[in-house]
Parts: sequence; C-alpha cells; structure tokens
Amino acid sequence: MSLVGIEALNVFGGTAFLDVAELARYRKLDTTRFENLLMKEKAVALPYEDPVTFGVNAAKPIVDALPQAAKDRIELLITCTESGIDFGKSISTYIHQQLGLNRNCRLFELKQACYSGTAGFQMAVNFILANTSPGAKALVVATDISRFMVSEAGDGVSEDWSFAEPSGGAGAVALLVSDRPHAFQVDVGANGYYGYEVMDTCRPMPDSEAGDTDLSLLSYLDCCENAYLEYAKRVSNANYRDTFQYLTFHTPFGGMVKGAHRTMMRKMVQAKTAEIEEDFQRRVMPGLKYCQRVGNIMGATSFLSLASTIDQGQFSAPRRLGCFSYGSGCCSEFYSGVVTSEGQARQRQFGIEQQLNQRYRLTIEEYEAIIRASSAVRFGVRNVVPDVGFIGEAYQSARGKGRLFLREIKEFHREYEWLS
Amino acid sequence: MTRQELIDLIGMKAREILPGLDDHAFAGTDRLVDLGANSVDRAEIAMLVQEALSLSVPRVELFGPKNIGELADLFLKKLDAA
Repeated sequence: MSLVGIEALNVFGGTAFLDVAELARYRKLDTTRFENLLMKEKAVALPYEDPVTFGVNAAKPIVDALPQAAKDRIELLITCTESGIDFGKSISTYIHQQLGLNRNCRLFELKQACYSGTAGFQMAVNFILANTSPGAKALVVATDISRFMVSEAGDGVSEDWSFAEPSGGAGAVALLVSDRPHAFQVDVGANGYYGYEVMDTCRPMPDSEAGDTDLSLLSYLDCCENAYLEYAKRVSNANYRDTFQYLTFHTPFGGMVKGAHRTMMRKMVQAKTAEIEEDFQRRVMPGLKYCQRVGNIMGATSFLSLASTIDQGQFSAPRRLGCFSYGSGCCSEFYSGVVTSEGQARQRQFGIEQQLNQRYRLTIEEYEAIIRASSAVRFGVRNVVPDVGFIGEAYQSARGKGRLFLREIKEFHREYEWLS
Repeated sequence: MTRQELIDLIGMKAREILPGLDDHAFAGTDRLVDLGANSVDRAEIAMLVQEALSLSVPRVELFGPKNIGELADLFLKKLDAA
C-alpha cells in the first residue's frame, strides 16, 4: 500500500486577536442569535502582517525541525489563498525565500475560495503518489486574511452581516506532505469531490468580499451531502456514523458546522436529536476548538479543524477522520485518513494551543483603529513602510518567538524582517 | 396542494425549529428572518418542508424567496415540475 499524507502540520493563528462576544456587544448584535455562531475569538491581521508573514510563521517551525537533507527534498511549494497580493507573482516565491528552501522546487499558487487548501493538499498527495521524484516532499501553505470586511452585496447579505464580521479571521496552516505521514495518513483513493458554478461568496474586487450567506450555506449543505455520497460510492461499506471516529469540517463559523452535521446525521443515518447532540460533542467539537479561536481563515480553515482534532482528540488507538472541505463558487471534497497516538504526540510539539493562548488581546478601540489603518497596505500599494509602533504592544509581544513581519513595500516588492 | 396549505406547512416546520411561535398565525407576508430565523435555521426549515413534500431538489434552487408566500410559490413550482 502506498504511504502518503501529512508528515507535519502547523498553524499560525495570528499575533493579535479580538474577543468576538465583545465585538457583538459593541455592534449591538442580538446576543442570543450571536451565541449560535459558536465563535469565541478571531485573529486580526496587523498592518505589518500579510498573507506571506502568516504563511511563513506557520511553516517555519516545520522546516526548522527538518535535517538539512530532508529540507532540501522539498521540491514543491504550493500556496493556497484568496488573499493574494499580486495577480502574477505568487506568494510562494516570498515564502520559499524566507524559508531558505532548495531552488530545485516548483513554486506556484492556486485558488478556489475556501477549497484552495484542500486543492493544494490533494495535488501534493498526488505528486508524492506519482513517485516521479522518489523521496521528495511537498510543502502546502494555505494562508488567508480578511483585512477589510466590506459588505458589497444586496438584499440577503445585510440581514446576516452579523455572521460575517465576527467570524472573518486571519491565519495560515502549513502542511508538509510526504511518504512519511506521521500526522495524518491519507486513505488513498478515498475521495468524493463535487463542484458546480454558483455565485455564493466571492472576492470580485481587491480587499473586499461580496456574497450571500444564505446561498452559501445552502450550497455548503448540498456539497456536504453530495461529496460524501460520492465518497461512499467509492469506499465500500462506508457509514457516516461508524466509519469515522472524528469529523473535521470547513468551519466558516461553528454554528454552520453544527447545522451541517445535524443535517448529515438525519439524512445519512436517520439519527434523532439526542444522538446528534452527543455525536456532535464527541466527533466534531474537538475540531472546532481552534476554529472558535481563530475565525474563518478561508483556504486554511479545514486544516485548522484537522490540526485541532489531532491535538484535542483521543488517540489511544488509531482513529479514522472524515474530512469535509467546501469553497464557494464552488468545489468541495470529502476524504479520510488515519491519525495515531504517535502522530498526536509529534503534533503537540508544535504547541499550537499555547501559541493561541499567547496572542495579544485587542481592545475594540484598537480593532477599529486597525480597520482604518489597514488601507495603507491595501492591494496595489506601491510604497509604504508600515509603522510597527502602531499597537506596538502587539508587535513587542512577538519578541523572542522568531516571527516574520512586513517591513516595507518598496516599488511593489515586499520586504520582510525577523523579529528577534 | 394549495398555496395556503404550503404556507401552513412552512409555519409548522418553522415552529419545530424556532421557539415562541406556537400562537403565531403565519401569513404569506411573514419573513422567517423577522421571526428570529438565522441562515442555519432557514436552511433547516426548507429542508424539513422538502422532506414533508418528498421533494428532492438541490438546496441552492430554493434560494431567493423573500417571505413565506414566495417560498410557498417556489415549492409549488417544484412540485409541479416533479
């Protein structure tokens, strides 16, 4: 059997975060409805952070842990994002540079909204499976930020604007994919994919989103069902209740996943309310933990849920995870893989939860100031030196953690510096 | 099935999902959002109605109605086409 999957994965959940319940009170949102979001915190990108710094800060600990010879075998670096900083030049080039990787490496970027990370991951898996360069590794970096949350759509969107702002986060997940799948061993060929054209949410302009929450939710639910049914067609005896000890979901916000899980449990195995709630707590909640603290990080979210499940689940015996990814527009996939206790122990060395615990907590005033200041680094800016003294306490809180920040945009070229 | 019967069915399913509507008399001009339904609730109500009608159409085809009457009209159209 071909061994392939994730050798290591790491999350960067931001330098700063906002308590979203505080935001909800400040925006005067209906607090009972707000609780149904099941969100707690969201990471907020500072003006001296961008998708490159997020991606590098996620990938660096993985690369640093590799012996030089292994690091030199990274021959494919795919960035997955809808927060691109250039229509031509890919973020992967900057990340390749900052990580000091071997130049004999393919560098490119891909997008398909929140499905991008999965698209990159599946391409990397197939690169390893093809065995065209035996022993090679691939690095997949999904990185997304929502810097300016601007509602541009008509009727539908304004009603549920309350869902969008508290849930839009910033973050990155890096995956090292190889024939040594310590963290997550892929079930080869166990993939159900499903996609079609729909205009649910999109980014038709730089730095802003448009769309309709209702349509997106309906499309997500259609895909959840159809991607799984295709998986079940290809994997004999697959059962939604028994085959997977954990389920990971693309998580725009926790409440949406709760609704999708409830729908799937009713439709696929005719489960009743009490069983569904118990099943949600047991199989789904471990994957929501980190999502509740970082917010929706688009292309990286489904892997944030995976990282959360690996860290927070019980793996006294190897467990199979069922993973669902959805990206507006749309494309989706249901696939599966196996996690072991050894893999969990290795993963916990990255201290993802500690990193989330150590972030700088923003006040509402600081958050509002960030929204105003962020236009200085909007798409297409030619020259700027972001002020690291702006909310300087957040910047200083990253000292000693080996983090990368944006120092300057000079004639469109981005220059970075490591904070020691 | 008449339009009014469909509105009643939607109302019945809305009551299953949303609290405090036991005494509410549903009308075609009612908007689910005004009755306290968020996106997840609205999708679920639409699904329950679909099941009750033994209809199976993609959920995205149920997008668009602005109130319960329009949703009932859409369901009537889907029933005709089924």
